[in-house]
Amino acid sequence: MKLHQKGFLLVELNSSAGLWDEELIARTLREYGRSGDYWENTIRIALDELAAAGVITRLQSQLTTIRGKSMLTFFYAVTEFGKTRMMDTGLLTETTR
Amino acid sequence: MATAETVDKLRTEALKAHYARLQRWGFAWALWTAILWGAWYVPGTALWYEKPYVDIPADQMGMRLAATAVMTWIHAIMVFAFLLLWNGALGKIADYGRTLVRFRRISKWYALASLCGGPLAIFGSYMAMGFVGPVFAAVTSLFYPVIGAVVARLWYKERITGRAALGMAIIIMGGIAIYGPSLFGELDISSNHVWLGYVGGIMSALGWGLEGAVAARAIDVSDPDAGIQCRFSFEVLFWGILILPFLALFTQFPIGTLVVDTLTHGRAMLWIVLASACHAYCYTSFYKSFTLIGVGRGEAIGNLYAIFALIFIAMFTLQLPEWYFIIGLVLTVLGSFVMFSEPAESVAQLRDTDTGPKTP
Repeated sequence: MKLHQKGFLLVELNSSAGLWDEELIARTLREYGRSGDYWENTIRIALDELAAAGVITRLQSQLTTIRGKSMLTFFYAVTEFGKTRMMDTGLLTETTR
Repeated sequence: MATAETVDKLRTEALKAHYARLQRWGFAWALWTAILWGAWYVPGTALWYEKPYVDIPADQMGMRLAATAVMTWIHAIMVFAFLLLWNGALGKIADYGRTLVRFRRISKWYALASLCGGPLAIFGSYMAMGFVGPVFAAVTSLFYPVIGAVVARLWYKERITGRAALGMAIIIMGGIAIYGPSLFGELDISSNHVWLGYVGGIMSALGWGLEGAVAARAIDVSDPDAGIQCRFSFEVLFWGILILPFLALFTQFPIGTLVVDTLTHGRAMLWIVLASACHAYCYTSFYKSFTLIGVGRGEAIGNLYAIFALIFIAMFTLQLPEWYFIIGLVLTVLGSFVMFSEPAESVAQLRDTDTGPKTP
């Protein structure tokens, strides 16, 4: 069974030093076979929630034009607290840390 | 062509707007919690005036508690159905399944949250109502955000600013101003069982306060819409597989008859369906607010249900609340504004955790 969406976002993000949300969104849409504005926005909200909880952090931001609209995009990384929370919830094991 | 300085200024403004939007959404969800919770009191109370519940005398506490267990179970099943509709419309049913199956690591927290908010808080509230009185039950419940905020602070370092704490205190005082004056007519310390009511009051504040803090553990890594459906899945199971069969087997209460009588009385079911619709989306808003403004703020704004409950009851019964309702209204609105006036940037990061470099 696939991971739930927020779990997938955390695992993907933790697999590198950090990722831009555009890349994370592309990977997530591919994983779950989704497309369109609604799903993109759903993933952006999930990232905002993860950042508010301190599980991930925004390291950089930039204004980009997406589909003719000026939008903020963020470069995210998992925090130490996030890694601990991922271990607590089985999304990360000591060996893969 | 825009200079680097202009671009940076635009980016800073966009960031401010982004954080303000998140804060506004968080408070909007918390306000919906309060509105729907207040609306819930109308069908929730009306249910007790319908068969089979109207036939249970007020002094038969055991029977009333058994009836509460039955109605809470049927209510939870209906809430589950409304949440299924919600998640179906949002396309999140698969995410619900994927979250639910990770019981040992994630959904167990939703199970624990359902125990805190269900049997502990609801039973506590009914004990407080039955052994002391409904006003006492309402006043003790008002303190649940304090429990939630303290546990969230100690357990996972949720940031409670001075302004958030002040807003919370003003909202609680507003609630007390609404219900407090009636309390003096209600307290009867000569009763032998009054201590059970006090225990019930503590149970309800503890239960609802703990629910937020416990649920937030799982919401950290899972979707709140899927999470709330997990929570009600467990509540349906707790009442249906453990509590009701236990009551049916080991007590004399006619649990089976109560279930059948509730399901076959159209008016009772109508109130349960209406109450469940309010409760389902009240709880959805509650959990969604935690993700954006934290457990302490979400629960404190949720406390505005005290105001909305009286407004909805006045609308349906045409009985105006007492004059001191205005004091309560002013205080709760003031408390909400004190909370909302926090800088959006400080609300965008809810935990005092090691998050590495500063948020841009």
